[in-house]
Amino acid sequence: MIEPNDADVPTTDPAALERLKRFGGGKLLSEMISLFVTAAPDRIAAARAGVAAGDVSAAEMALHSLKSSSAQLGAMQMQRLSERGEHIAHTGSLEGVGQIVQDLEEEFPRVQDWLERARNVETP
Amino acid sequence: MNTVAVVEDNADNRLLLQAILDGLYDVVEYENGVDALAGLAAQLPDLVLLDISLPGMDGNEILARIRADDQLKRLPVIALTAHAMAGDREKYLAAGFNDYITKPIVDESLLLRAMEKWIEAGRDGTL
Repeated sequence: MIEPNDADVPTTDPAALERLKRFGGGKLLSEMISLFVTAAPDRIAAARAGVAAGDVSAAEMALHSLKSSSAQLGAMQMQRLSERGEHIAHTGSLEGVGQIVQDLEEEFPRVQDWLERARNVETP
Repeated sequence: MNTVAVVEDNADNRLLLQAILDGLYDVVEYENGVDALAGLAAQLPDLVLLDISLPGMDGNEILARIRADDQLKRLPVIALTAHAMAGDREKYLAAGFNDYITKPIVDESLLLRAMEKWIEAGRDGTL
């Protein structure tokens, strides 16, 4: 487990991974991790493209999907960032959303690393 | 075994629901509203799990079409959404959803109980 790099709030939640194992064993956990590490960069890129094009609803939709899958995988910091961006976009603004997307781009590799290690424990 | 239609564009959510429903229900999956409406009419399920945030026709519009269709209008439909904002539940129930489950799914028993309840209501004609 990674130590939180944000002093007071955890960035990842191992309980989410235990939950996935309860739903469908190590196989489901491994498949969910694979889908997430493939889809999340696409969703971040779609949010980035939405911001660049001034397309508020495209950005909102991408961040909404990212929020949902991050939450299910225990990527709490990504969930919080996506949710913040989604809420801003929902009001029709993209102010500050570019910075949030950048924060997501920086956070994703840490989450990926954490998930890959969790998967390797499952399927050595 | 009862049949459940899952309308969800995200592959990860479909996979998760498959795992939770495996062995309990026959699951038919649709990735968008157009396919879902055509599929539901061709093969009427016992219940629909309907994601709200879908590209193109969203869950609210799909529900409106289900409720406006003589063949489909009695189907139990549960909204699945990651939008948990204050007042959402009331909004979705008022729109004609039978129930409302938020994502991420933390306690699968809530989902399974809601599904059982509404399938039974659909069968008894007490919807």
